[in-house]
Amino acid sequence: MRVSHEWLSEMVDLEGVEPARAAELLTLSGTEVEKVTAYGVGLDQVVVGEVFGLRRVEGSDHLFLAHVAIPGQEPREVICGADNLFVGALVPWARPGTRLPIGVEIGRKRLRGIWSEGMLCAPDELGLGSEHDGVLILSPDDAEAGMPLDRVYPADHLYELEVLSNRADCLSHWGVARELSALLSRALRNPDVSRPARSGSGPMVRVTVDSSADCPVYLAEVLTGLGNTPAPAFVRRRLAAIGQRSLGGIVDVANYVMFEVGQPLHTFDLSRLPASEKELEVGVRRGRQGESIPCLDGVRRDLDPETLVITVGDAPQAVAGLIGGEASAVGADTSQVLLEAANFNWARLRSTSRRLRLRTEASSRFERQLSPHLARAGADRFIHLAVRHLGATLGPGAAGGVPLTPASAIRCDPGRISSILGMELSSEAVASPLRRLQFEVQEDGAEMLVTPSPYRTDVTTAVDLAEEVGRIIGYQEVPGTLPPIRQAPPLEALAEPVAHLASTTCRAAGFSEALSLSLVSGEREGLAPRLIGDLAHLELANPLSAQLGSLRQGLLQGLLQSAHHNQARGQDRVRLFEQGAVFWGRGQERPEEPWMVALLDLADDSTEDGVSRLRHLMALIASLSNVGGGGAVEFRPVTWPALHRARAAEVWAGAELRGIVGEVAQPVADAFDVRGRLEVAELRLDGWLKPGGRPGHAAPLPRTPALVLDLSVAVPSRALLGPALRAVSALGLPWLEQVTPIDEYLGDQLGPGLKGWTLRLRLRHPERTLTTAEGDAARQAVLRVLELEVGAKAR
Amino acid sequence: MTPVDLQELTAMALEEIARADSLERLDEVRLRYLGRRDGLVTLAGQRLRKLAPEERAAFGQEFNRASGQLRSAMEARQRQLAAGEEEQREDGEWVDMSHPFRGPGQGHSHPVAGLIREIEDIFAFLGYQSVAGPELEDDQHNFQLLNMPPEHPARDSHDTFYLSPPAGGWLYRTHTSPVQMRAMLASPPPLRIIVPGKVARRDNPDPTHTPVFHQVEGLCVDRGVTLGDLKGTLEYAIRALFGRERRVRLRASFFPYTEPSLEADVACAVCQGAGCRTCLQKGWIEILGSGMVHPEVLRNGGVDPESYSGFAFGMGPDRIAVLRYGLSDLRDLYENDLRLLECF
Repeated sequence: MRVSHEWLSEMVDLEGVEPARAAELLTLSGTEVEKVTAYGVGLDQVVVGEVFGLRRVEGSDHLFLAHVAIPGQEPREVICGADNLFVGALVPWARPGTRLPIGVEIGRKRLRGIWSEGMLCAPDELGLGSEHDGVLILSPDDAEAGMPLDRVYPADHLYELEVLSNRADCLSHWGVARELSALLSRALRNPDVSRPARSGSGPMVRVTVDSSADCPVYLAEVLTGLGNTPAPAFVRRRLAAIGQRSLGGIVDVANYVMFEVGQPLHTFDLSRLPASEKELEVGVRRGRQGESIPCLDGVRRDLDPETLVITVGDAPQAVAGLIGGEASAVGADTSQVLLEAANFNWARLRSTSRRLRLRTEASSRFERQLSPHLARAGADRFIHLAVRHLGATLGPGAAGGVPLTPASAIRCDPGRISSILGMELSSEAVASPLRRLQFEVQEDGAEMLVTPSPYRTDVTTAVDLAEEVGRIIGYQEVPGTLPPIRQAPPLEALAEPVAHLASTTCRAAGFSEALSLSLVSGEREGLAPRLIGDLAHLELANPLSAQLGSLRQGLLQGLLQSAHHNQARGQDRVRLFEQGAVFWGRGQERPEEPWMVALLDLADDSTEDGVSRLRHLMALIASLSNVGGGGAVEFRPVTWPALHRARAAEVWAGAELRGIVGEVAQPVADAFDVRGRLEVAELRLDGWLKPGGRPGHAAPLPRTPALVLDLSVAVPSRALLGPALRAVSALGLPWLEQVTPIDEYLGDQLGPGLKGWTLRLRLRHPERTLTTAEGDAARQAVLRVLELEVGAKAR
Repeated sequence: MTPVDLQELTAMALEEIARADSLERLDEVRLRYLGRRDGLVTLAGQRLRKLAPEERAAFGQEFNRASGQLRSAMEARQRQLAAGEEEQREDGEWVDMSHPFRGPGQGHSHPVAGLIREIEDIFAFLGYQSVAGPELEDDQHNFQLLNMPPEHPARDSHDTFYLSPPAGGWLYRTHTSPVQMRAMLASPPPLRIIVPGKVARRDNPDPTHTPVFHQVEGLCVDRGVTLGDLKGTLEYAIRALFGRERRVRLRASFFPYTEPSLEADVACAVCQGAGCRTCLQKGWIEILGSGMVHPEVLRNGGVDPESYSGFAFGMGPDRIAVLRYGLSDLRDLYENDLRLLECF
């Protein structure tokens, strides 16, 4: 919202307060000033001139020669490019030697053989907004020739305000003035709302409100005797300053009152309403199915039982609080109006505004819980201005409506306010800022009874008062302290996943950390290899696009996309990991959110082949399990959708499947537009690894020597080492400490269809040295198991 | 053979030792002079026994000196030659040590994840436990328990992603604040937690928005916690994060779940408060929202607001990362471009 310094200064003394200072005070107290701009500053050198003659400059298709004068002087010739001049027009004239507020110095200039005596100015050239459609034409009501322009446009500054959503009271100059009055400790001067005596002219209004919950207050007045009078100069100038177009006297004054006191008003042309001369039946009710109303903006809108409407004689005349009807719109010929100053239920107005996709200055105020007490001030201010400046006469008045309940007092203990804010405040120090905010404060023993300003709907409890005291005193006055540490036991239920542990381990292994949006395209996600099987995707009901329409079920789609992104930017080696929650639907139940990590290693050069990168990845998986206390992992070869059929394995720890590892199948890599071999893994970490890592355990170091034996065997070339080693372990040989594969021979010396393994056995007796015979026995036992398991032969 | 002969023999041997240019040749020299059976010096020694006792002493002395001299010369030459041969072997194994290395090296942190870890460390020092909560929430936890009933105006800024049926009762949390609720419901005060995590709002991606982003929430509930404590905590954390010298200001604000509510700004690093494009001419950059937990919210969390008070705050590590590292587009954070990641 835009607010004028000059307008504010009518309600609070701003003498000596720099706009920047006022802006800072407002910002720190919650009403953020986003920008301060000068408006009409430095116009004392520009004069109002009158155009006496006008003709085209010979030989030019767009230049005019104007004869401009001020009283007592001969007209001068001024060349002008604008085409909106006319004889008799009053215009801002910057004569030679004038310095314009935008920094331009005006001189005598020779154009097409004619000396131009200065310049006739457009609004933007005078720092009066951004308009540049033509020369600013001044109204003879506001200006006369010879006047310095600053008499028409006094120096002003405009504040661009961001008003908090609970502070509808600040959506007006009066509201901002109330804030400044409290912040500066300067008296508030309320707008003049003195109202004239009623006359008998015009009909009596009878108001019927169906539900006071929908409409807590509805004030209606009839005003007659209005002519086609423009609004007074100060009204038009101030509206122009805050960017409002002039729409005729009645509408301008109604708008002026809204921006001044904050109460939206609506004016109906009385002669266009279905009313008798004696009586007018105004109603506030819900719309009916099938009803519709052509609105001011030319759009016909359907009504329904969720929508509030204003009726006259039961016929809809306006969508309450949102927009008026076309039929009863005020026009140039309007001479009598029905004035509405009302308040409507904010929640109902919000949903109507959303349904009709329409937001107006009025509705944006109502839907932020505007105080119903403002209606009276708004009506009175309009009546005051209309009678005084538009020649209106106040009608006989209205009957009906419901009285408003006055704001209720809040009981509060000043000591409590001190302890919330963390500063020692006396009763007086608490009461003073509240009084400055126009709150009533009564001492009641050690406590206080505080009645907030009726225009503040956001202050209802003692903590609200603490905020008022804090922000008016200024939070810079609160001493910063640290609370004494009294630590609670760790929250097991919400314990953080193993994020740190996994991140550190993966980074140490050369993988960089990726983060992706959790939203994916369901179609592509189906392509990516992943831990789960055929769960349906969780879809968004209101996605931004199909590309971001589903929740990810796994992390590999994101990594494959990042692999493509990096490769397309010239990276031939991409190693990334990502961890985070993924989402598995469970029908209507709470969706499951497994915490997963995925890794990707892409090489599009010959530095390392796929197999060694795959082995590296598997070693990393074993490390992850090791540091996270996940136990020994086991890789079980498997064919898995979207992975290479001969290079994929499930990752098992104990009896649980924890993840997959393998090479991405070529068609999938192609679908993601990635070249080269892609080794990937995806693991579910929650329920497996512990955030605290592996619990430490140790045993005394052995004191006896180990017996180390190497065993070389020939096995079929597709024999699996994993199950073979498991079978050896399962044998439970006494004193067998470790079996390690130390060599794999893939040459052809062993004959077709065979390969060689060399296993190193380490045996140790806790108390003595083992004999060679004991070693041989162990070797034979292992060989027998390998024979049975994989058909091994000693070599 | 006289002592003089022996001296000549020794001189010859020393010369040959010096001339030997390989361990093999040196060994030949050793055999010729010091060979156990027929080394020339060895043979000279054998004559010692045949000498008259009066000659024996002088010759013996000379013999010991000569053989000692030869042995040590031999050893020295051997060490010298051995070192040379090792050098040669190593030279044969030459590699280009200036070749740019390619290896796993250390992986890099994501700037946002790294910042979150930094924030966790700062608050760990103040006794805050880092906890997590679900990213999919119900309306109750995301809004209602936090004082945002349906149609509440504050919901405007929380444009929410809802899930399709059959999971239609769930939404993607719009902030990490529902975890405050879960923490209070899970454990009685005192509570001191921070909650990093992902949230989502229905904003089209542009340089200052991504539909999914991160927040770090903080909550402290105890007896006698004041707004001064909130201020001190925020000042400590912001200075730890942005540097001791950075100016911080608190300004009044509004959130439905806190009362009083405040926002914290830091002086713009680009213009030092003078106003520039980065800070939209304000001189300050908003980095977090905070406030004293609303009594109603405490009550909803099963905490008695008459006995306990608390403060809460929330910040956006994505935005802080963009500010801190001088990036120009939030979307870059989710491209995972290695050229960016390798900076961290």
